[in-house]
Amino acid sequence: MDRGDAPIDPDEALLFAADIARVMLESGGETYRSEEAAVAAAGALGGAEAECYATPTGITVSFGGLDGRVHSIVRRIKRRAMHLERVALVEALARSLVAGALDFSAASEELGRIEGLRGRGPASSSAAAAAGAGFFTLLFGGAWNDALVAAATGALISRLPPVMARRQLPDFFANLVAGAAATFLCLVARRLGFATSADATVIGVLMLLVPGIAVTNAIRDTIAGDLVSGVARGADAFMSAAAISVGAGAAYQAWRLLGGTIPS
Amino acid sequence: MRLLEPLWAGLATAAFAAMFNLRGKDLPLAAAGGSLGWAVAAPLQAATGSQAVAYCAASVVIGIWAELIAAIRRRPAAVYAACGIIPLVPGGGMYYTMLYYVRGNGSSGLATAFATLQTAGAIAVGLALSGAASRLLSLRAIARRIGRRPGGVDKAGR
Repeated sequence: MDRGDAPIDPDEALLFAADIARVMLESGGETYRSEEAAVAAAGALGGAEAECYATPTGITVSFGGLDGRVHSIVRRIKRRAMHLERVALVEALARSLVAGALDFSAASEELGRIEGLRGRGPASSSAAAAAGAGFFTLLFGGAWNDALVAAATGALISRLPPVMARRQLPDFFANLVAGAAATFLCLVARRLGFATSADATVIGVLMLLVPGIAVTNAIRDTIAGDLVSGVARGADAFMSAAAISVGAGAAYQAWRLLGGTIPS
Repeated sequence: MRLLEPLWAGLATAAFAAMFNLRGKDLPLAAAGGSLGWAVAAPLQAATGSQAVAYCAASVVIGIWAELIAAIRRRPAAVYAACGIIPLVPGGGMYYTMLYYVRGNGSSGLATAFATLQTAGAIAVGLALSGAASRLLSLRAIARRIGRRPGGVDKAGR
């Protein structure tokens, strides 16, 4: 572009296109959006007949380069966490690349910057989790004291998944432990008289964990025709829901064995 | 619907948007979508008695709101839609499903599980509807974008 006609190395363009799709998927972007972004980027960088096939766990990109060969790459996606700011920035990056507002080196630099964007720190994300749990408890008919209990519990359990992830434990166990801890803490708080409505308190906290968005996205992917992604996301959501339920159910049973009553 | 419910829904949405790493102006905009959705869903559910119908309609409204903000802010609508549906997603349904099974009431559990899935489906369909509507309405813009494919004029003049 600004360096006259110096052609972009097809393999570099391919790596870049795959990275665009990877960052998008790792940040919680939809399947079709990451495919479109990768194809648009590959096209803008001189690839012919670019194709991208993305699923929640991996992507394949291929195109015909200016050298007349077909180039392709596979990228595995191992971790996924919602980072909507990144999704928006990568989308904007792909657009400005297509519009010619960015050249290849500037775009690579920008993608590196986007990938380096940090999530919120522990204190800030705990505060957000506390607010989320507390306001959901109010929304589900809890009283102020229920909301405060939910907020405290939510802040505590929001620290669990990152700690478990650092120890390389699968999400399944994080959800299991978090579901059990959330339920048990709320039941204890109600017994001690801090909370009045166990249901509203527990639901408020569990809203932080339950894969409501994941279920909805699974159905959306399927509607959009990304059948494999839809089924994969559905399985992911089902396993999270199962883990949380098993954890919460175990906490209820333990509570009953300890002589507590189960709220009705 | 109690008067303050949309406020709690909006604040809960803002908290989730923060957890999803949105920042600045996007936070209140996303939260407004959550409030709006709840303000549509709760009275409709009371009027029709059907959670699926109410949530589908609310998702259409959230989707349109998301498309509007997305057009103004030049960001993907999904960013705002994903936050806006937070108060609607069936966390409560999953909880009650679990609770019924713990109490040994399998048939109620199964019914609740099915209703939960139906609600999630209704939200997805609502978002798909508003997405489709916005695509149909902006066909011309898309046609213009296709006309300006790579290899075309460098708009920045570099």
